[in-house]
Amino acid sequence: MTGPNDEDLALSRRSAAGDSAAFAMLVEKYERPLRSFLARSVGPENADDIAQDAFLKAWRAAAQYDGRARYSTWLTRIAWRCRLDRLRKERPAEPGEEVVETASSLEVEDMLARLSESERAALVLCEGHGWTHSEAAGLLDMPLGTLKSTVARAKSKCRDMWEGADRD
Amino acid sequence: MTDEFERFLRGSLAPPERLPDRSFVASMQARIALEERLDRQRRQLVAGLLSQLAALAAIAAGLIVLSRSPGALELASDSPQIFLAGLLAAFGCVVALFSSSGRLRPFATR
Repeated sequence: MTGPNDEDLALSRRSAAGDSAAFAMLVEKYERPLRSFLARSVGPENADDIAQDAFLKAWRAAAQYDGRARYSTWLTRIAWRCRLDRLRKERPAEPGEEVVETASSLEVEDMLARLSESERAALVLCEGHGWTHSEAAGLLDMPLGTLKSTVARAKSKCRDMWEGADRD
Repeated sequence: MTDEFERFLRGSLAPPERLPDRSFVASMQARIALEERLDRQRRQLVAGLLSQLAALAAIAAGLIVLSRSPGALELASDSPQIFLAGLLAAFGCVVALFSSSGRLRPFATR
């Protein structure tokens, strides 16, 4: 019987055995969603560096991927830990609370910039990347109820901005 | 309005439709190759240090055994110059040993 993650599991096992071509296939497959998620949630200036760190850690820990979760979930969890490690090293302040002025032509980047980092991450994963609430709660280390309310709050803020921009 | 907003939000937050970024993949492969090489060099360095420590311990043990032998004690008291020359020769062997292992160049780029 084959599972949905078998192909990635096989590639990961080959990577663990030192097959860099197999790992390159995983990078090809997952760099787009990972970098997109990071660019949306932590900002484009750090996204690629964190994505590289995450892929490097995934290469080193390839033997630990057991195929129970989706590879993208496992990889994004590694990337999120990389992000938290960087935050701990860089600055002690609460992340993601910076606010930009409302642009006259409202883009999704403007909306996201007005959310906290956890709201951005939860919204991008659940609304844009099709993650389940429990997957996102696991990644962000939040209780399921908190995650759901975080997503709802983020959506509500975005809707307010959307409707406000629509009126202007 | 809500449906339009939901469509806008989902469409905007979804990963972009594009081909894999070959330059990113290539840079990842290069970084992994570099990390692998550094790991190999670290292992070589540790192995080199361990062998040097083992060599040093063997020389020290040999010197201790020699210094306790009656012949060596007699030589040290009768002809301290010769004894000192022997010690210097042993020290020269240690220096030669370490300088030869240094030629392994653990941080060489290839």
